[in-house]
Amino acid sequence: MAGQISQNRQMFWRITRRMLGAHRGRLFVVLLALGAGAAVTAALLNLRIDARRRLTSEFRAFGPNVLVLPKNVSATNGETLPEAIAKAVPAEASNGHVSKVAVLYVVASISTTRPGKSISAVIAGTSPLAFLRIVGSVKGEHPSVPSATGRECVVGENAAHQLSSEKNPELELDKAELTLTSGARRETCEVASFRQLGGPEDDRIEIGLRAAQRLADLPGRISVLELIVPGTPSEIQTYIANLQRTLPDAEVRPVRQFTEGEAKIYTKISGLLTVTVAVVLLLTSLCVMAAMTNVAMERKNDVGLMKAIGGATRRVVRLFLAEAAVLGLAGGLLGAAAGILLSIWLGKQVFGVAAEPRFIVYPVAVVLTVLVAILSAFPLRRLASVRPASVFRGEA
Amino acid sequence: MFLRLVADSFARRPRRKLLTAAALSLGMAVVTAAFSVSLDVGDRLAREFRSLGANLVVTPEADSLPLEIGGVDYRPVNVGAYLPETDLPKVKTVFWHNNIMAFAPVLELQARALPLPASQWIESVSVVGTWADHAVPLPDGGTFHTGIAKTNPWWQIEGAWFTDNARECVIGAALARKNNLKIGDLISLATGATTRIPSPLKVTGIFSSGGPEDEAVVVPLSVAQELAHEPGQYRKLYVSALTKPEDDFGRRDPATMNREDLERWICTPYISAIAYSLKETLPGTDVRVIRRVAEGEGVILKRVQALLWLVTLAALLAAALAVGASSAASVIERRSEIALMKALGAGSGTVGFLLATEQLLLAFIGGGLGYALGTLLARAVGQKIFGAAPEASLLVLAVVLVLAACVTLLGSALPLRRAARYEPAPILRGE
Repeated sequence: MAGQISQNRQMFWRITRRMLGAHRGRLFVVLLALGAGAAVTAALLNLRIDARRRLTSEFRAFGPNVLVLPKNVSATNGETLPEAIAKAVPAEASNGHVSKVAVLYVVASISTTRPGKSISAVIAGTSPLAFLRIVGSVKGEHPSVPSATGRECVVGENAAHQLSSEKNPELELDKAELTLTSGARRETCEVASFRQLGGPEDDRIEIGLRAAQRLADLPGRISVLELIVPGTPSEIQTYIANLQRTLPDAEVRPVRQFTEGEAKIYTKISGLLTVTVAVVLLLTSLCVMAAMTNVAMERKNDVGLMKAIGGATRRVVRLFLAEAAVLGLAGGLLGAAAGILLSIWLGKQVFGVAAEPRFIVYPVAVVLTVLVAILSAFPLRRLASVRPASVFRGEA
Repeated sequence: MFLRLVADSFARRPRRKLLTAAALSLGMAVVTAAFSVSLDVGDRLAREFRSLGANLVVTPEADSLPLEIGGVDYRPVNVGAYLPETDLPKVKTVFWHNNIMAFAPVLELQARALPLPASQWIESVSVVGTWADHAVPLPDGGTFHTGIAKTNPWWQIEGAWFTDNARECVIGAALARKNNLKIGDLISLATGATTRIPSPLKVTGIFSSGGPEDEAVVVPLSVAQELAHEPGQYRKLYVSALTKPEDDFGRRDPATMNREDLERWICTPYISAIAYSLKETLPGTDVRVIRRVAEGEGVILKRVQALLWLVTLAALLAAALAVGASSAASVIERRSEIALMKALGAGSGTVGFLLATEQLLLAFIGGGLGYALGTLLARAVGQKIFGAAPEASLLVLAVVLVLAACVTLLGSALPLRRAARYEPAPILRGE
C-alpha cells in the first residue's frame, strides 16, 4: 500500500515536470505574466512603506515645528530660559534626529562703518548659526563652521535694504563690519551672508548666541528653543507631550500652522498612496488571473486524455493546481526579486535616496503570486465536465 | 470572406474571447485609474496645501524695519508706512485672480484692554485688526468672501467670528484664560490717555492659534483703524495662492528675461510670477514670498507627483505584460486553425492580418471597457481622498486605446512570427 502511494506520488511529480517542460513558449508566457505581477506587487509594497518615512522627512523643509518657550511669555516681560534646557531635550525622537536651535532676541541699534546710517532692528542670537542652511535659500557664502565668538552675521533682506543706500545692498554690505549697540554694550560683526525667507527673519540680523548674550547682558539665557522633530503627526504629538513632562518650567508648543497643515496633507497623501496602490494591486492580480486562465483553458486535450486513461477528476485537477503552484512560486521568486530591485532604483529617482528594501515584502509578494496562480487555475474545475470522447473527436 | 472569418472567430469561441477581453480591460482599467489620479493629483494637493495658510505677504515698500519678536510688532503706531484698504479689491483683478484663494489685511497695534464690568485695565495687549469673513466686491459684479479664517485655517475658533464693521471681537485662548473672559463678555480697548471708557466690544468667540496670537484680541479692521487713528489703512496683507512648484525657469529673475520668456513666465502660476503681478497691481508695495511655506510645498508636491507617476508606470508595465501574455496564449492555442488556413492556400501575411484584426478589435473593446471601469475607480479614489472626482480626460482614453492596441499586437507578434514558419502538415497530423 505504502509502496503504491509513493509510486503514485512519483508519477504525479513526473507528470507535473513533463507538463512544465513540454511547452517552452507557454511556460515563458506564463512566467512573464506572473513575474510581472509579482514585480509590481513587490515594488509598490516596498515603495509604499518607504514613502511614509520619506514624506515625513520632506515635511521638515517647513523648518521648526516645535518651540520651547518660557512660561507666561507676554509682550512686556522679557522672560528667558536657561540655555542648559537644550541639553534636557532628548536628541533622538522615535523616528530620527531632532535638530535644536537656541535663539535669544535683542533689539539693538545697528550702524555700518559709514557714518550716519543707523537703524533699530531685532537681533537674533542663534546657536548653531549654520542651521539657516536647512530652512531656505541663503544667498552667498555661508560660514561653514559655526563660530563660537559670533564674528559672522547673517543679514535679512529687508534689514540690508534699510542699512544700505544702494540699489543692490549685497554689494555694499558683503564682508562689511556692523556695529551693534544696546544701551552701553557694543558688539561688532562681519556680514557673511544675506537671506530672504519671506518671514520676520528678513527684518532681523542673526549673530552668534554668545555675542547676543553679551549684548543683552543675559549670559547663559535664551528666548526660545526651536526644534525640528521628525516623524508622523501623531509621533510629534507624543514627543511634545513627553517633552512637556520633562520640562515643567517651560512651555512646549507646536507650531500649529505646520503641525496641523502637515497632519492634513500627510493623511491625504498617505491615503492616496494606499488606495492607489491597493487598486493597482487588485486590478493587476485580476488581470494576471484572467491571462493565466486563458492559458489554462487550452489544456482541454490534456484533461481529455488523462480522463480517458482513467484519471479521476479530482486527481487531474490536483495535477493542474500543483503545476500552477510551481509556476506561481517560480514567477513569484523571480518577479519579487526584480520588483525589489526596481523599487530601490525608483526610490532613488523620486526621493534621491535609495529605498531601503524591506525583506518582509519579499515573502508577501511571493505568497500573493502563488495564490493568484492557484486561483487562476480554478476554472479548470469546469473541465470535470469534459467528455474525453468529444474532445478527441475535435468537438467543443 | 475576411469579415466573415473574423465574425465567426468571435461567435464560435465567445468564452475565450471574453477572457482575453477581460484581461485587457482589467489591465487598461489599472492604467486609466492610475493615469487619471496622477494627472489630477497636482491640482488637488496644491489645494490641500492651502491649509498651511498664506504663501505671500504684502507690505508697504517704504516701510521702516519691523521690530517683530514672536509675532508681535514692537514698533509704535506712528512709525512705519501703511497701505490703503480701498486698493484691496484689485487683488482679485490680477492676472492670476482665479489662483488667489484668500487674502486678509492686518493692522496690529498695542492697546489697553478693560474687561467689563470694569475692574482693572490690562496693559499692553496686542490687538490685531483684520477681516473675518469680508465680502469683497468684484469687477464683474459678484463678491468674493475672504478673511483671516481662510488665510490661517489652523486657527480654531470656539463660538463665532465677529461680523465685520460690528463692535465685536474674538479673543485669544491664553488671554481669555488669564483674565477669565467668556463668550458674550464685553471688553473695551483704548490707546493713549483716555478720559472715558470707549464703547465696548462684544466677545463673540475664543480662538486658539497655538502661536503668539493666543495672547491677542482680534477685532474688525475698522475697529483697529479707529484705535490706531489710521482710517482706511492696513499694514500687512496675507495672500494664499494656488501655485505651481518652481523649477529652474521659475526661479529666474524676470528682469533678465527676454520678451518671450517673460510672457511664458508670467503665464505660469509660479509663486514668484503671482507675486510679480500683485506688485504691478498694488502700487507702493513690496510683495514677498513666504519661503518656508512655498518651498516646502513645492518639494512635497514634486515628490508625490513623481511617486504617483511611478505607480502608474509600474501598473502600465504589469498590465502590458499580463495582457501581452494573454494574447500570446490565444494565438498559440490556434495553431491547428492557422495550419488549416495555410493548407487551404492562405499566405502568412493573410493569416497574420486576420489574427491582428481580431486582436485589434479585442483591444478596442477591452480598452474601452477598461477605460470606463478605470474612470469609475479613479472617481471613487478622488471622491474618497479629496472629496472631488478627477475629470475624465479624452487624453487618457486615447493613451489607453493606443496602449491596448500596441500591447496586444506586440503580445501576438511573437507567436505569429512562429506561426508563419509552421509547416501545415505535421500540425494537422497532430504532431
